[in-house]
Amino acid sequence: MIRTEHLTKKFGGTCAVEDLNLDIAAGEFFAFLGPNGAGKTTTIKLLTGLLKPTSGRAIVAGFDIQKDPMAARRLVSYVPDLPFLYDKLEPMEFMHFVGQLYGMPADAVERIGAEMFDLFDLNESRPKLIENLSHGTRQRLVIASALLHDPKVIIIDEPMVGLDPRSARVVKNVLKERSRMGVTVFLSTHILHVAEELADKIGILNRGKLIAVGTMEELRAASGVVGALEDTFLEMTRTQEELETTP
Amino acid sequence: MTVAAPFFRLLWEVNWRVAQRRIRSVREQSRLMVVVIALFVIGYWVAGYVLFRAGFWYLAKFPGLGGLLMDRMLYLFFAFLFLMLIFSNMIIGYSSLFKSQETQWMLTLPVRHTDVFRWKLVETMLLASWAFLFLSAPFLFAYGSIRNASAIFYLKAFLLFLPFTMIPAALGSLIILTVTRYLHRRVFKWGLFGVGALVIIAAIFLVRPMDATQLQQAEMISSMNQLLSNSRLALQPWLPSYWVASSMIAWGEGWGGRGLFFFLVLLSNALMAVLVCFHFSTRVFYDGWSRNNSQGPLRLGVGVLDQEIKLRARTRLLERVLGLWPWMHPATRALMVKDIRVFWRDTSQWSQFVIFFGLLGLYVLNLRNVSYDWNNEFWAGFVSFLNLGASSMTLATLTTRFVYPQFSMEGKRLWIIGMVPFGMKRVLLEKFWLSSAWSVVITLSLTLLSSGMLKLPTWMTVLFSATVVLMSFALCGIAVGIGALFPNFGAGSTANRYDNPAKIVSGFGGTFCFVLSLFYIVLVITAEALPVYFQVGGGGGRPWGVVISWIFVSLLSLVAIIVPMSLALKKVGEMEM
Repeated sequence: MIRTEHLTKKFGGTCAVEDLNLDIAAGEFFAFLGPNGAGKTTTIKLLTGLLKPTSGRAIVAGFDIQKDPMAARRLVSYVPDLPFLYDKLEPMEFMHFVGQLYGMPADAVERIGAEMFDLFDLNESRPKLIENLSHGTRQRLVIASALLHDPKVIIIDEPMVGLDPRSARVVKNVLKERSRMGVTVFLSTHILHVAEELADKIGILNRGKLIAVGTMEELRAASGVVGALEDTFLEMTRTQEELETTP
Repeated sequence: MTVAAPFFRLLWEVNWRVAQRRIRSVREQSRLMVVVIALFVIGYWVAGYVLFRAGFWYLAKFPGLGGLLMDRMLYLFFAFLFLMLIFSNMIIGYSSLFKSQETQWMLTLPVRHTDVFRWKLVETMLLASWAFLFLSAPFLFAYGSIRNASAIFYLKAFLLFLPFTMIPAALGSLIILTVTRYLHRRVFKWGLFGVGALVIIAAIFLVRPMDATQLQQAEMISSMNQLLSNSRLALQPWLPSYWVASSMIAWGEGWGGRGLFFFLVLLSNALMAVLVCFHFSTRVFYDGWSRNNSQGPLRLGVGVLDQEIKLRARTRLLERVLGLWPWMHPATRALMVKDIRVFWRDTSQWSQFVIFFGLLGLYVLNLRNVSYDWNNEFWAGFVSFLNLGASSMTLATLTTRFVYPQFSMEGKRLWIIGMVPFGMKRVLLEKFWLSSAWSVVITLSLTLLSSGMLKLPTWMTVLFSATVVLMSFALCGIAVGIGALFPNFGAGSTANRYDNPAKIVSGFGGTFCFVLSLFYIVLVITAEALPVYFQVGGGGGRPWGVVISWIFVSLLSLVAIIVPMSLALKKVGEMEM
């Protein structure tokens, strides 16, 4: 469902993403990890077509995001780390707006929107303007709107930031459930236990390079560290930095 | 798949609803603000209409040349408007197309990039043009009334505005698209400065008003020749401003066919410009967007000139300059460096700042063409105080727009400076001193320059210079004080809502700050103008009046600084983070 081939992005003289090769199957829950500035958000922007690659290509939901962006975007949902919302709309008005942008009939938006509101505990916020919602509620609303049109691929950047434990649990359950239903989830996060708990496959990016990819067991084996993902992650990123700084 | 028409309809509906709620919330938030806005609109339209009508009436009285002169004013007006609209479209278009979070979001939706561009072009055109339409309304009404035009003339004039605003919007967007696609974004920043400077320089040298002395001395033919020859540039038949003015003049005269011809010329060119813009955008918008959001620092490839090195050098320079005051507390210096850097790096801040001062500079430099008869004391006093009034009103606008929001902008960051051991009072005092310092530098320069241009006597230059220094401190005291007393931090944790200074100003505090500043200015100018007026009326010889008024102004300014600042200092001293 998501494939990148030698995907590279340079910002001036800096290589933000270097020769990235990924292959994520339908229904796979993929967690994308990496330290700050590793190139995770740049990769996501390349996958969603927000940025043009310097070289290589990204195929999302079966379509080359550069050559056939419209077809790909119909099947994809993207939730950025700082999502955009219209402050002066009410939550359900925003859902209708998004639904119609994806060509959904109004009654379907109303029905699925109501289900989403129940699922994400948004009913109390229904009569309020979005500007008056807390960060966590806004985040839940954005995720709910991203699921509205039943996407085949969900690309989500740091979804747990600012969520209370209950909301975080709801989001995790919903994403995992979607993955079981055949939806590919590409989740970028710093919260390692979320990746450990949910992901079928984990990719670790450091300084623009994919330094490891595989299941939890495969990563443990590759790093030689037995224990939590945190230890594996720290060992792998440290080893790569040492290799790069060694003359 | 979303096709263009439903996409535009959806966006229109959403934006309409958002606009309605915004207006409603302003109404509910502050009655004072609604009243101030309403009074300002009515006051501007009435005063503008009266002044423009008087001007047109004056021109109309010239035997044989009246009509020609009035028409020439129209050509000049639209030529200037055309330039301003291109500039305005460029600034707003850049933010709207390449820096807006909404645009980024739209680009991830199943919508063609070109449709996003088209929507944003319309949005930019409306945002960049409405203010000019509002400002030019009294001018056009005055012209129509002198021409005894019928009601249909105003409808036609309104219709002309649509294609007229489309052309600068398309041109501005074409420039932005080209720059972002092919040049580095820093080039745009500096390029904008360059274009602004060029426009102002061109306006200074190409558009010169008539010499009033010559008018008074009845050297009419020479003056008229000067005006007509200096304004010839606005008569180039390839200029859209020429088509709109020609159409309006023809309709004003009742020549329907000629008016329609120029309207159609304008409309066809506007449609063509938009078509070219759309076509060009399909090729370069997405590339430009991606390029603009993935650029590293600008490198010229020439070691010494490398921009990064220059930036580092400038950073050190800023700290070195502030280091010249060794008695300044390191915390105050750190706050100043932070405030200056944040201001410089926020495009929305400095671009408006440059426009403000560009226009003010244009006004001041054009004063060299005003050489009133200084033996006529009424004119001398009138022009001098008009100049002081214009400068101080501009300063009040600037302090309200740029200084008032400073405290509110700390908003979510207050915990950083609130938790460090030097306390919030120092933060407030730093903002007062920094804003007063730049206000004094700018307004004092402008006052000295304008006094020189007006050839004011030395005592008046000294009086006005001392007054603007006091006013700078007082207006900054009001803005910083009210900014802390009535901050606009916004509700809850709404992301980035109050990082925009323009939004911060649009609350009760901003309005109150502006009203208070205006009240102070009126008191100062009245106090200073009264003794001069009575001196003129009474035949002179009463300098003690000027001294008393100066003492009053000094005391008033001290009150304007001390009262809001001490209340604000008290408030932030007790503030809970």
